[in-house]
Amino acid sequence: MTQVNIRPSRHNLYNTHIIPVRFEYFAPSSLEEALELLNKYGSEAKVLAGGTDLLVKMKMRVVEPKYVINIKKLKELSYIRDEGGEVRIGALTKWRELERSDVIMKYFPALYDAVKAMGGTQIRNMATIGGNLCNASPAADSAPPLMVLEARLILASREGEREVPITQFFKGPGKTVMRPDELLKEIIIPKPEPGTGSAFIKVARTAMDLAKISAATAVKVEDGRIKFARIAIGSAAPTPVRAWKTEEALKGKPFTPEVIRENVKLVETEISPIDDVRSTAFYRREVSKVIVEDALILSHERVVKGWMK
Amino acid sequence: MEEPKHIFIGKKTIRKDGIPKVTGTLKFSSDIYVPGMLVGRVFKSPYAFADVKRIDTSEAERMGAVVITPDDVPDKIFNPRLVSIFEVTYKDYRVLTKHPRYLGDAIAAVAAPTEEAAQRALEAIKVEFERVYEPILDPFEAMSPSAPLIHKRILKGDEWIDVKNNVGCTLEYSEGDVDKALKEADVVLERRFRTNRRYHMQLEPKTSVCIPHSDGSITIYSTTQTIHNTRILISQIFDIPMSKINVVKVPIGGSFGSSIQINPVVPISVALCLKARKPVKISMTREEDIYDHAAYQMHFKIRAGAKSDGTLIAGELENIMDIGAHQIQAYPLLGTALGWFVSLYKWKNIRYVGKAVYTNKVPTCAFRGYGAPQVSWAVETLIDEMAEELGIDPVEFRLKNYVGKGDIFWGQGPTVKSIIRSDGVPELLQRGKELIGWERRRPPSEKTGRYRRGIGVGRSFHTSGAGGPISGETIDYTGAILKLNEDGTIDYITALQDHGGGTLDAHVKIIAEELGVPPDLINLVWSDTQTTLYDVCTHASRGTYVGGGAAVQAARELKNKIFNYAIRVLNKAVNQDMLELGYDKELGQAVVYVRDNPQMRITLKDLATIAWQRNWGTISTTVTYRSKAAPPSFTVYFVEVEVDTYTGKVRPVKVIAGADIGTVINPDYAAGQLHGGFAQGWGMATLEDTIYDPRTGELTNKGFITDYKILTAPDMPKLDDFQVIFAHTYEPTGPHGAKGLGEAALNSVAGAVANAIYNAIGVRFYELPITPERILEALKKKGR
Ligand SMILES: Cc1cc2nc3c(=O)[nH]c(=O)nc-3n(C[C@H](O)[C@H](O)[C@H](O)COP(=O)(O)OP(=O)(O)OC[C@H]3O[C@@H](n4cnc5c(N)ncnc54)[C@H](O)[C@@H]3O)c2cc1C
Repeated sequence: MTQVNIRPSRHNLYNTHIIPVRFEYFAPSSLEEALELLNKYGSEAKVLAGGTDLLVKMKMRVVEPKYVINIKKLKELSYIRDEGGEVRIGALTKWRELERSDVIMKYFPALYDAVKAMGGTQIRNMATIGGNLCNASPAADSAPPLMVLEARLILASREGEREVPITQFFKGPGKTVMRPDELLKEIIIPKPEPGTGSAFIKVARTAMDLAKISAATAVKVEDGRIKFARIAIGSAAPTPVRAWKTEEALKGKPFTPEVIRENVKLVETEISPIDDVRSTAFYRREVSKVIVEDALILSHERVVKGWMK
Repeated sequence: MEEPKHIFIGKKTIRKDGIPKVTGTLKFSSDIYVPGMLVGRVFKSPYAFADVKRIDTSEAERMGAVVITPDDVPDKIFNPRLVSIFEVTYKDYRVLTKHPRYLGDAIAAVAAPTEEAAQRALEAIKVEFERVYEPILDPFEAMSPSAPLIHKRILKGDEWIDVKNNVGCTLEYSEGDVDKALKEADVVLERRFRTNRRYHMQLEPKTSVCIPHSDGSITIYSTTQTIHNTRILISQIFDIPMSKINVVKVPIGGSFGSSIQINPVVPISVALCLKARKPVKISMTREEDIYDHAAYQMHFKIRAGAKSDGTLIAGELENIMDIGAHQIQAYPLLGTALGWFVSLYKWKNIRYVGKAVYTNKVPTCAFRGYGAPQVSWAVETLIDEMAEELGIDPVEFRLKNYVGKGDIFWGQGPTVKSIIRSDGVPELLQRGKELIGWERRRPPSEKTGRYRRGIGVGRSFHTSGAGGPISGETIDYTGAILKLNEDGTIDYITALQDHGGGTLDAHVKIIAEELGVPPDLINLVWSDTQTTLYDVCTHASRGTYVGGGAAVQAARELKNKIFNYAIRVLNKAVNQDMLELGYDKELGQAVVYVRDNPQMRITLKDLATIAWQRNWGTISTTVTYRSKAAPPSFTVYFVEVEVDTYTGKVRPVKVIAGADIGTVINPDYAAGQLHGGFAQGWGMATLEDTIYDPRTGELTNKGFITDYKILTAPDMPKLDDFQVIFAHTYEPTGPHGAKGLGEAALNSVAGAVANAIYNAIGVRFYELPITPERILEALKKKGR
């Protein structure tokens, strides 16, 4: 019999009936207080928003924070504000609120698609958009749309605020540029210039699942030629990524199915998919091209035929 | 036979547990709470294959927990399923083990006042391992002579047997001369198939509550399909007389076969309870439940031969079952799988080799259909191919060769045989063809473009129970008690469990039909082992057929006793044979009257009251019942799919779900079984599997929330595109002509889906599930 050195399973530590982790709990009532706590406990603390990622991870012992800072009470971080040229979304805004917002539906079809594709109603009632970004999953549904919509994120700490373009926010699975003492406060999305269409397509195992592969696009066609085409892909690399080379290649070219099909082949070179429980690298590579093409066509169609339920 | 007119049977009614369920007031085992109750947690092996050296419980005990290790439980080897007779029961389970054979085998357990305290105590247990072996996860590797033995010795009945090549049990069978027939065949096909290893994903994870009493007796509440077998097994393991064990029937939150066996948490909770002398409850988390049971994974090789006129003349099946770490009902399944094979088509010459092979994986058990979904998928794929080779329409080919009316049917393998007396297959195939638009079906070669549609047919059946005129290797009988209350209402008492499909409501309708007492005046008693007669288990689609048969017999006996009393009060009546009992619509109750003189009558209510007031005594009946047959319920699915050849995604476009279940007792619940059967079959065909890390033997999709997916409502066809049809048949051996349905509703789905996918894209798949990944790879290989 071969005797081997095998890593033992940790499954006796999992208990999803409870949160099997000891932690100290804070529920700050103001942003200032929250930032104060983060400043003090930052590296050993976890912020709790909707908890739909964090609590799962704690129950499965993926993270075991010493301190949990529940920011749910900070109502001032939950809003969708139309400010003319841009829309500001508080980090604590629930997906369900995005779903019900005319502003989101009207200006940001790609984000609206993502909202519809995310979880089920119960999850959307709990989960926040800020949590989705800070969790930094390569499959986060809000990321690709926000990337092609060129969103900017406001990070706050006791030291003050800073603005980070979303394309520079993600660093790896579960990793972002946020410092331990920082909180995501707001997401700013500029309204796209008139004539821009956008879309998001997600391929998943079932109607309620994380993406195997996803893509968002925003495109503007002028006089039959592509003025710009922005492309972002989820679940195909350690972070959601923009397909810069493909975008560059499409620029200025006529918007025809043939041109698009030819050029989206480049997408494959801009991603680094892996095999995992949800899918295979082969599948992701093949289908990324397909859904980028579909999303580009759908984005443009929405301009031509109009968009709105 | 004439189909009788019914008053209650076949009508839509609100089920008795409907309002308690939708209002959340119905209590499942997981909801049971008793004062002073401790919470139990199980220490599961962190290795797939290892030997324990030492278990240190001191820290956990210092924390105040009650701890049990293999040294604290009876040294008994058992099989948690008691449906087979002793002689063919293979035993390799222990309550707790020092030799874990899969990552999840229970080594120790703790009980403490709260879930948190129990969890901390669990984490404080230290287990040292003597040896850790490389897990054996492939059954063919397991069978190689050099492979280490997962179990060296097991018990068959009371006899020790040495396990060779990790083969837990085998079955071989032959009839006629397959080799000769294959030589004479004009077309011979040989194919290998591999099914997936699905997890049941029943709504309620396993729970057990054990309560001790001062007289030394115990009461158990658990998720089970059989309260009586639970009692017997606990009695056998712990040497407690059965009269000191009471198992209460509690509503079960689904099962799909995963609670035919007594769940491992039951004996563990009993052991903890006996040591703690306090009530103990163990509720598994979903993540633990996934490590408790899975569907039998089967590797088939089929060889079949046919003459050019479309007559099948040979069928050979090799069935290698990867059963995981323990035997639950592997041996009877070897026989049943053969039964499914020979009862699908008339192969004429048959040869079968079945082997159940141990691997270091989650133990497998029955999962809705007990191997029939697996066998039917493979056979229906092959039959489709054969029809194509022969140039015969697949529906015609099936009609020509299927096992139908007048033929011998193997309900559950070679020991449960009967003759088919009702057969709706021709009707279902014909109507299904028309409804799906079979004439639209074109060969895959004519299909181009990104989205391609295909139409497929799949058929199968399931037995209704495991009864028959001869006592075979399977135990199958039930009991029913009916009691006429002092106001003419009825108490109906049975041990038979309802998995949620409305089985007991079917019994109530049958009793109502027999006695004329409306269903809402019949009380369905949730009882226990001490007040019910033995029922083997609600499995094998026997709930309506066998339980309903008992209900008919009990009701008829009760009726006779009612007439005994009625004759005393219906003054001039002289002949008891001339009495009738029926429902009076105007009065809304049952009435006894004299045939041909219906004005001579008394309501059952008045009669019951008189019997009480005049000290005549209670009218009641107790029957123990075994059915004389186990007739097949046939199902036929026609499915239209659309394949996106760019993403490999398959969408169900249209479904015709046809079932021959004899008399339809609960029409809407029966339709519900077909909807649910399709959903589960679609998941089997296109989505579900449990995957193991080859190095550790740990499941990669171990967590419920994100990693084991089942289909959701939006993944299903629209209701308008899903049509249910029932054949117009009457089963003479069934209660009011009825047969079973639960499993048949699933059995034929995967075959139909696979054949539809083939018809769309021209690729056959021999491995389940047929995922978008596999479709895309296959299309790429084929050059689209
Ligand atoms: C059943 C189910 C289905 C799901 N389906 C989807 C799906 O389809 N698509 C998808 O993308 N996701 C899905 N998810 C994942 C999850 O719901 C989302 O990522 C959600 O948006 C997370 O938000 P939350 O508020 O719950 O985050 P939390 O769990 O509260 O937090 C997530 C992480 O972000 C940090 N965090 C949260 N808010 C802030 C902040 N303002 N500043 C700094 N750090 C912060 C937390 O510390 C934590 O590390 C699903 C989850 C479940 C359980």
